Amino acid sequence: MAEVDDGASAPVSEPLDLVRLCLDEIVFVKLRGDRELKGRLHAYDSHCNLVLGDVEETVYVVEEDEDEEEVVKTIHKKSEMLFVRGDSVVLISPQAPS
Amino acid sequence: MENGTAAQGEGRDPSGFLSEIIGSQVTVKLNSGVVYKGELQSVDGYMNIALEKTEEHINGVKKRTYGDAFVRGNNVMYISAD
Amino acid sequence: MASQLLPLELIDKCVGSKIWVVMKGDKEFSGTLLGFDDYVNMVLEDVTEFDYSGNHTKLSKILLNGNNICMLIPGGEGPVAAAS
Repeated sequence: MAEVDDGASAPVSEPLDLVRLCLDEIVFVKLRGDRELKGRLHAYDSHCNLVLGDVEETVYVVEEDEDEEEVVKTIHKKSEMLFVRGDSVVLISPQAPS
Repeated sequence: MENGTAAQGEGRDPSGFLSEIIGSQVTVKLNSGVVYKGELQSVDGYMNIALEKTEEHINGVKKRTYGDAFVRGNNVMYISAD
Repeated sequence: MASQLLPLELIDKCVGSKIWVVMKGDKEFSGTLLGFDDYVNMVLEDVTEFDYSGNHTKLSKILLNGNNICMLIPGGEGPVAAAS
């Protein structure tokens, strides 16, 4: 007897299937260089090149304050549409992280 | 050196090991030192990884959780069976 | 013509025994080699991971990505044993 999938917990047969299931959904993307993106996934390919819409980008930068102590500063940027080159992708997740 | 029987042979080479640990709890360490712990859904030839119920640990501190997570294979240093 | 031992044949001879793996960065692993593939991705058992800071972590069984491997030392027990 074949196992019946209930859809919601359907096993992904390969990792990129997880990304396919995110199409047209809001995704969280972690990039190299302490950058994060949140936006709607319009397209992707096998290199993890991505096209995202309504994107909010967060960049974490370490700066030294007056006492020469390191503080992490966050920079937020918004873009209507952007292309991400796959080689900078570290992680893609369907929902906003908690 | 013992020569593996069929049962011992399971999980000896990389692809055998991967099929053995699919569905179980794993630790994935990236070259950056970031660690992801979760249930292994799938892996492909690039070592791209899909994890379920994932915890992100940075410098040993739990930072975030993800329901599902896709990790691009080029960042992976190792996959450990917990 | 002396008979050559190909690099991957040497690694094949190590299957089942302890091996010391030095990564391109400042990380090292030692463990029992269970298997490997053409990319020298390796399955290791009873592994110790050595950090640059001198920390070591025990891992029962891992698949190590071959991409960042620099050097393999057959029979090696890792940097601690080598130093003593």
